[in-house]
Amino acid sequence: MQLSKRYTLVGLLICIAIFLVTCKKDEEDEEPTPVPPSTGVVFDINQVPYNKLSDYRFFTGTMKNLSPNARVLPYEPITPLFSDYAHKSRFVWMPSGVSATYAGDDNLLNFPDGTVLIKNFYYDHVQPQDERRILETRLMIRKNGAWIFADYIWNEEQTEATFSLDGEYVSLTWIHDDGSEKSVNFRIPSDVECFTCHKSNGQNNPIGPKPQNLNKVYTYLEGAKNQLTKWQEVGYLTGELPFSIVSTVDWTDESQELELRVRSYLDANCSYCHREEGHCYYRPLRLEFNETGNPDQLGVCQTPQEFINNTLTHNIARGNINRSVMYFRMNTTDQQYRMPLMGRTIIHEEAVQMMNEYISSLSPACN
Amino acid sequence: MNTSVASVQHATNNPLIPKDMKPNQLIAIFLMEVSSLSQAQTSCATAEEAIEGINFGTQITGSDTPQPEHCLALTPELMFSWYYFVATDDVTMTVTTILPANAGLDTRISVFEGTCGDLLCIGSGDDSNGGYLSNAVFSATTGTTYYIVFDTYWGGAEVASPVEFEIYEGEPSGGGGGGGGGSDFPTLITFNPEPLTGSGSSECIVDMNNDQLDDVVFVNGNSITIRYQQADGSFTSQSYNVGNVSNAPSWSIAAGDLDNNGYNDLLYGGGGGASIIMANDNGTGYTHYSDNEYIFSQRTNMVDINNDGILDAFVCHDVDANVFYISDGNGGFTYNQGGLGENGGNYGSVWIDYDNDCDMDLFIAKCGSDNIDQLHRNDGNGNFTSVAPAAGINDGSETWSSAWADYDNDGDMDVVIGASSTWNGSHKFYINNGDGTFTNITEGSGIEDITTTGIENFPCDFNNDGFVDMVGLGSVIMINDGDMTFTPADCPFYSGPAGDLNHDGYMDFFEGGTIYYNTMEGNNWLIVSTVGTESNKNGIGARITVNSALGTQIRDVRSAQAFSPMQTLNAHFGLAQDTEIESIHVCWPSGIEDVIYNPSINTHLTIVEGSTVNVEENDMNELIVYPNPATDRIQFKGDRNVAGMNYRVIDSTGRLITQGRLAALELNIAELPAGLYTISIEIDGQWQSKTFSK
Repeated sequence: MQLSKRYTLVGLLICIAIFLVTCKKDEEDEEPTPVPPSTGVVFDINQVPYNKLSDYRFFTGTMKNLSPNARVLPYEPITPLFSDYAHKSRFVWMPSGVSATYAGDDNLLNFPDGTVLIKNFYYDHVQPQDERRILETRLMIRKNGAWIFADYIWNEEQTEATFSLDGEYVSLTWIHDDGSEKSVNFRIPSDVECFTCHKSNGQNNPIGPKPQNLNKVYTYLEGAKNQLTKWQEVGYLTGELPFSIVSTVDWTDESQELELRVRSYLDANCSYCHREEGHCYYRPLRLEFNETGNPDQLGVCQTPQEFINNTLTHNIARGNINRSVMYFRMNTTDQQYRMPLMGRTIIHEEAVQMMNEYISSLSPACN
Repeated sequence: MNTSVASVQHATNNPLIPKDMKPNQLIAIFLMEVSSLSQAQTSCATAEEAIEGINFGTQITGSDTPQPEHCLALTPELMFSWYYFVATDDVTMTVTTILPANAGLDTRISVFEGTCGDLLCIGSGDDSNGGYLSNAVFSATTGTTYYIVFDTYWGGAEVASPVEFEIYEGEPSGGGGGGGGGSDFPTLITFNPEPLTGSGSSECIVDMNNDQLDDVVFVNGNSITIRYQQADGSFTSQSYNVGNVSNAPSWSIAAGDLDNNGYNDLLYGGGGGASIIMANDNGTGYTHYSDNEYIFSQRTNMVDINNDGILDAFVCHDVDANVFYISDGNGGFTYNQGGLGENGGNYGSVWIDYDNDCDMDLFIAKCGSDNIDQLHRNDGNGNFTSVAPAAGINDGSETWSSAWADYDNDGDMDVVIGASSTWNGSHKFYINNGDGTFTNITEGSGIEDITTTGIENFPCDFNNDGFVDMVGLGSVIMINDGDMTFTPADCPFYSGPAGDLNHDGYMDFFEGGTIYYNTMEGNNWLIVSTVGTESNKNGIGARITVNSALGTQIRDVRSAQAFSPMQTLNAHFGLAQDTEIESIHVCWPSGIEDVIYNPSINTHLTIVEGSTVNVEENDMNELIVYPNPATDRIQFKGDRNVAGMNYRVIDSTGRLITQGRLAALELNIAELPAGLYTISIEIDGQWQSKTFSK
């Protein structure tokens, strides 16, 4: 193969841009574009991803308030992914006349073409203005039986977000919930980074919207309701649901059993790689919630395959955080050791504390 | 409530005991406390006397931290128990917890002298003899009081508190406490560990000041610290600020001279991109080059990809096509992606010459969703062809690196591919068939017996016996038996870089602040530094061939190997008991070839590109070898009649093909296979050379 200078991504984006322009022109020439309803989401599956987030009209009024338009339904997983303490607001939208179906407690819902999963990332009390700053809005769109990524990076004025899958860094300092000042060099991912975590057997896939993660009460504007029930009511979920769903727990809920909290946290933060279809399939850990009931899958008393140092003897050493690789990897920011590999550059102190409690509670010591 | 429950209640006041501890565990602690017949020794001031022989330990509950400094690493909320011991002899004493009563526990021991608040650490122990229990050794003086401290570093007090400990005269029994990989393999290669400190971490051994001695480079954020090896084996230290560099060598580091100014530069492979650290023109200052390109870096290398005589920087990409920066030789770089390994799963790139054509080919050890290893054959002029399936080396084991060497000294590079996981098979050993293909000969080689896995695999002749060994497979030294089988040996380190850190001709390693000096001896050796003139300054990509009585040995000059570290750029040859080398042949990336006859051994030889050719061409500029290329014969003409003179013909790997006396002004070469050759003719006692091709 002849080596030549190749800016693959730039080229791709230029192609997409040309394609979009060309398509629009053709349609204008041949038939008038149907005038969208004055309210409601704008979505043409052949045209998405649009160049601007505002093109979709997911949000009404001032866009930065993230007030959902009609049929844009907020949702929240029971235990979320930690992303350097960024706040997130998530929404789901589907075209009228289609719906998702149940495919197992621990499997993604069967989403129809046209589904859009919307995830906004923001920080509050960003310094020096002490204001909210929305960084990016990530979309996953179900198109032609597969998922595509789209990411919209917000401008500083917070008036618009523009499509980009190039990835970039945003440095900011904010006042955390506990009053402390924290700083982050936040990473907005490129397409290959999206794919690293969102792949399942080499295909793009969402991670969160599984019945086990959605089965909780959410406070909607109209009142509190179980999310799955709500999805059924608005027609986003049809068909049979089982009488009971084996569900994760809120990892911050101290009334829950410690092990369930840990397993829920690991499911949300680690299992997209540490499962048979994921990036790290070749390691013995299997960290999906439905797997970690088995201590072997969780790494308890398991000899690590990847040597770090002599003191780290097991993935989880019962009773002993200083010998536990999992604790070490959660409690470091060193790139070559930290877990997750991506999406975390600062230590999730509260989660590390929970792992400390959990590992310390286990006995007897591993041999 | 009966009395024992009352006692349990007392015990639960102890903040050490988890609230949810089961009753039988509480009773065990209660009994332990009773058996010790004393209060827990919580501070230096209330230390309990310990005696020579067996002592009972108590549950560790004290918060009194040794002052001014503990012997061992501290973590928040660590607890301590304190004992004192008064020596009655001037002898070496050992404190040990390696006792049957402590089975399953995990202890640390520190020993101090001095007074409370003004203590000096004189000994400590942790994880001795391959287990979790400990020996601490100290030198005792009659009448002196020593403080012995246990702590809860390794978990709760119930895990870290010794039930018993013993103080006895002498060194620990049951083997030395130092180092040791803890494997069941015999110690066949011995090392002497010595500390070498620097700021930050180091995975890099390379010569940074152009004295051909290997130095150790530490990296800490925006600074590097170079420990320069001195002629007497000591190391000086110098730190340099490199500017606000955006990436750290988190995943790998490589070195080489990217602008041919004579001083090595560094390449950092970071999780979000790569950065290049450039040396100034006298190696006394460094700046950095960074861009905004996202790279999930894995192995980095320096190699002249476009063969313009200037090294380029190659970066393996975990989640996308591999990246390379073409150097303009003036500190400028052009970013490229694609053409040298697409997709992701690129972990362990290594540039080697597998087809003996004197240019560097690329092998990529792969892992993850695109796990089939790749071989990119260099066709010259920047053209590469992906040939792994045709070459039979499209291996699917989950690997992060491979160790390439001519393990059977037959003139071509073989490879051990080390598995990082056994998910898709284990370690593999492939022999180079010499025709561009490989055969899997793992079975019966000894490689298949290694059950540990790892990410670092590196070829190295540890014992200078002339057969290249390898280290890796999870931290095992595999000693080459000379017949394509290996004998596993214990390895006291894991992933460190390699080089000769005391210029004794034996390869040393560095890991975690410790130099592992190779203490083997008795075999002869040669170390070669290559200096390019038309080729890149380091001579990276040069093929060096050494011919001696034990056979032919080949090396590629490579930067870098294994998964993360950078190893010496000097080529190291073990010579066993051979006392002379017939010839050294260097085939440079430029195509220039040099031949040196009968060099000294047990020394460090620097070979400058073209240094043997130039002399000859000046002297023989009237001698013409024709036709070139030739088919059946070559002829000679010029101002000297070379008929009757001695000649040698050497092939491109440096092997002597034929020699004799020229019967006429021509030589029959009909029998020679196609290739590039050097003919040397002895004129007035001096060997002079011309190249020709057939």
